[in-house]
Amino acid sequence: MRHPSRRTRRVTTALTVSLIVTAGAAACGPEDNDAKAGGADAEPHKGGTLTVLNSDPQQDFDPARLYTSGGGNVPSLVFRTLTTRNREDGAKGAEVVPDLATDTGRPNKDATVWTYTLKEGLAYEDGTKITSADIKYGIERSFAAELSGGAPYLRDWLVGGADYQGPYKDKGKGLDSIETPDERTIVFHLNKPEGEFPYLATQTQFTPVPKAADKGTKYEEHPVSSGPYKVVENQNDGERLILERNEHWSAKTDEERKAYPDRIDVRSGLDSSVINQRLSASQGSDAAAVTTDTNLGPAELAKVTGDKDLASRVGTGHFGYTNYIAFNPKVKPFDNPKVRQAIAYAVDRTSVVNAAGGSSLAEPATTYLPNQKSFGHTAYDHFPAGASGNAAKARELLKQAGYANGLTVTLTHSNAKDFETGPEIATAVQDALKKAGITVKLDGLEDNDYSDTIQDVKSEPGFFLAHWGADWPSGGPFLAPIFDGRQIVEDGANFNTGQLNDKSVNEEIDAINKLTDLDAAAKRWGALDKRIGEQALTVPLFHPVYKRLYGKDVKNVVISDWTGVLDVSQVAVD
Amino acid sequence: MSEARAAAEGARAGTGTVLAPASGARQFWRRLRVQRAALVAAIVVALLVLLALTAPLLTAVEGQDPTTYHPELVDSARGGVPVGTFGGMSADHWLGVEPQTGRDLFARLVYGARVSLGVALAATVVEVAVGLVMGVAAGLGNRWVDQALSRFTDVVVALPLMVMSLALLAIVPSDFPRPVLVASVIGLIGWGSVAKIVRAQTLTLKQLDHVAAARLSGWGPWRIARRELLPALAAPVITYAALLFPVNISAEAALSFLGAGVKPPTPSWGQMLTSANVWYQAAPQYLLLPAGLLFVTVLALTVLGDGVRRALDPRAASRLSVGTGRRKETRA
Repeated sequence: MRHPSRRTRRVTTALTVSLIVTAGAAACGPEDNDAKAGGADAEPHKGGTLTVLNSDPQQDFDPARLYTSGGGNVPSLVFRTLTTRNREDGAKGAEVVPDLATDTGRPNKDATVWTYTLKEGLAYEDGTKITSADIKYGIERSFAAELSGGAPYLRDWLVGGADYQGPYKDKGKGLDSIETPDERTIVFHLNKPEGEFPYLATQTQFTPVPKAADKGTKYEEHPVSSGPYKVVENQNDGERLILERNEHWSAKTDEERKAYPDRIDVRSGLDSSVINQRLSASQGSDAAAVTTDTNLGPAELAKVTGDKDLASRVGTGHFGYTNYIAFNPKVKPFDNPKVRQAIAYAVDRTSVVNAAGGSSLAEPATTYLPNQKSFGHTAYDHFPAGASGNAAKARELLKQAGYANGLTVTLTHSNAKDFETGPEIATAVQDALKKAGITVKLDGLEDNDYSDTIQDVKSEPGFFLAHWGADWPSGGPFLAPIFDGRQIVEDGANFNTGQLNDKSVNEEIDAINKLTDLDAAAKRWGALDKRIGEQALTVPLFHPVYKRLYGKDVKNVVISDWTGVLDVSQVAVD
Repeated sequence: MSEARAAAEGARAGTGTVLAPASGARQFWRRLRVQRAALVAAIVVALLVLLALTAPLLTAVEGQDPTTYHPELVDSARGGVPVGTFGGMSADHWLGVEPQTGRDLFARLVYGARVSLGVALAATVVEVAVGLVMGVAAGLGNRWVDQALSRFTDVVVALPLMVMSLALLAIVPSDFPRPVLVASVIGLIGWGSVAKIVRAQTLTLKQLDHVAAARLSGWGPWRIARRELLPALAAPVITYAALLFPVNISAEAALSFLGAGVKPPTPSWGQMLTSANVWYQAAPQYLLLPAGLLFVTVLALTVLGDGVRRALDPRAASRLSVGTGRRKETRA
């Protein structure tokens, strides 16, 4: 699972740890494609230096170690992958498109074998040819313990992946489930049907790595570029990264990356307020600057919207993400569906949205799936609370549940100032529930303590604030970890907060994973979400919206719904 | 009767007659009263205390309370900035509303005053009580007792308040009443300097004739402490307490600022400062009000504390010629 960097924030869910790297680059831009050219002039200007001001460094800049969604932002300037995300504004940007490969993959009948063919004329930064064996090698090395950090899917999905130790052991033994019959063909054998394999192939583990250049853990100092830029300097493990044009990259083989600037200077380790301050001042090199991991907080938004010039330099990003109230039905009184429903009715989404930063930074949610087509979003509102809560209906349900005289419960939240699971949201929920006769005590936990507590089935509280984002914009990675009963983790990080283990739900998840028609799969995910929603195991609160400020000389701003951030590969500077 | 005597004294002072030395309390008030800064500070502190004590009354007059959300009073599309000028100040909301929630700022400030002043006062009481016991015990005890208690006090003095408080507050179960907890933690970490002063004073007092006489006549240490030492210790301890109080207010604010203070939705000034610090440009009054109040309170208490010190300090008495009647005497 992944987490967009909203402000400077540590990812709290276990799998998301290195997401930071990827959530990177997107500035904000106009939402319609007409405005893509930015200014009035038609063709964006080529050349110049683009500065990227970030809070999180580009740590472990090795394709094997990066945890990205869609290949990341800064990483995707250097690392090309078999497939990638469509570099378009809005919903179109949530589609998966070919990158090094000629198509998004050709599955066999039950989606367990996937075949890709590489485009012709692909070359590394030194001019040598990119072959399918290099992609196989790149994936194999991501299995090495010393190069850990990537998403767990390859290990789970590839035949023999669970036991494979990487190419540095057993005399360079490879992974037999990846075949390379010729220089341009690569075949993957999976141990179960996975119709969403093309989404996985966007991650940087699918980047070609020439075996001769591999230096193990030292490879990150100078990874060989297959993209439009190569690394010329990497200071302090990605704190400052200077990229320059890779002359051997050809736009003819790459329809996605525009690569207008000649040079990209990534500076990290900055405070989010400093980043936004520098972008709003837009002085010197900051005029041609963007950020790929920082958005505007409520107070910053209030200031920016009061200034016409600044307001014109804000782009809006959406990313598949849901903030919700989670119930653990093993804890009383949340074992009673009526109590859960009463809370669902009582919630005041207006004050929750305001606590999250207002209507420009959050949209009220009644579905667990994010409100985007690619996730298969199907509208439903099983427990209509209206804009500000239905206290009367909540009281009625409580009465039926035997709590006619009210109820006192404890809401666990984090103490993070992230407008997600922090005290602001908790007090808004508390205030709304008070009107329905529910007294809410708040239990604020320090950030790490909070994640440990809610992710351990033994300590999971009955009523807490949670959030979820998927590794790619589809219903699968959004619903399966939360509602698949076989994914309840007894010892370790558990995300199935409702500890739901429903045979029919599990079977439907398996059935959808067999589908290779992603549109058809999306519809079924939507229907499944609607069905699970009836159990009131969660109360969806809001989907965040991201406002990205960029420098005054930045043109051609594209923010896809896949990442929600400004795509650095599309930006031009004056 | 006392009024009559005061009037008589006043009359005598007016005529330039030499005054008999006034009693302790009266002398103290007289010396405090003549320090204009201390007087102003005392009035400010009195007003703040009144504000805190009458918080429910004041908010009832205003017609608001500190926790109710008013979503209609904030501009949701603009990050939740208060609608209207000066942060939404109006007849209904005297000092405007809090961004994002629309909660009434005046109500939050006056209720916050209860937390800030109450916690600081309780912490000061704890510090003085523990410090007195430890200091007197060390001063009166034998060599071993003194050594043990003094070294222990040294350790406590060396504890970094913020770090220790954060650590302690993190391990206590969350259903423990938070203001009590914060006050005890600040108090139990901060008593060291009181104990040191009390011990030093006790050692000096022990040499004095009246204490020595009491010891020789077979009084126990408890009785000596109560009857002979405490009256003499009052001045330095009160002085020090007056100076500790504003320090404790700052400590509570700092802990709340760091998220370890009282729990939401209970308002406290430090907590308000935490949420307000990002709003300094978009809604400046949200930051300036709690910051200003905190500043005024700490300043007033510090000035008052200094005034108390000067009024109680026997060495300062000679410098404080005014108010003892001597100035008029010399003029005459």
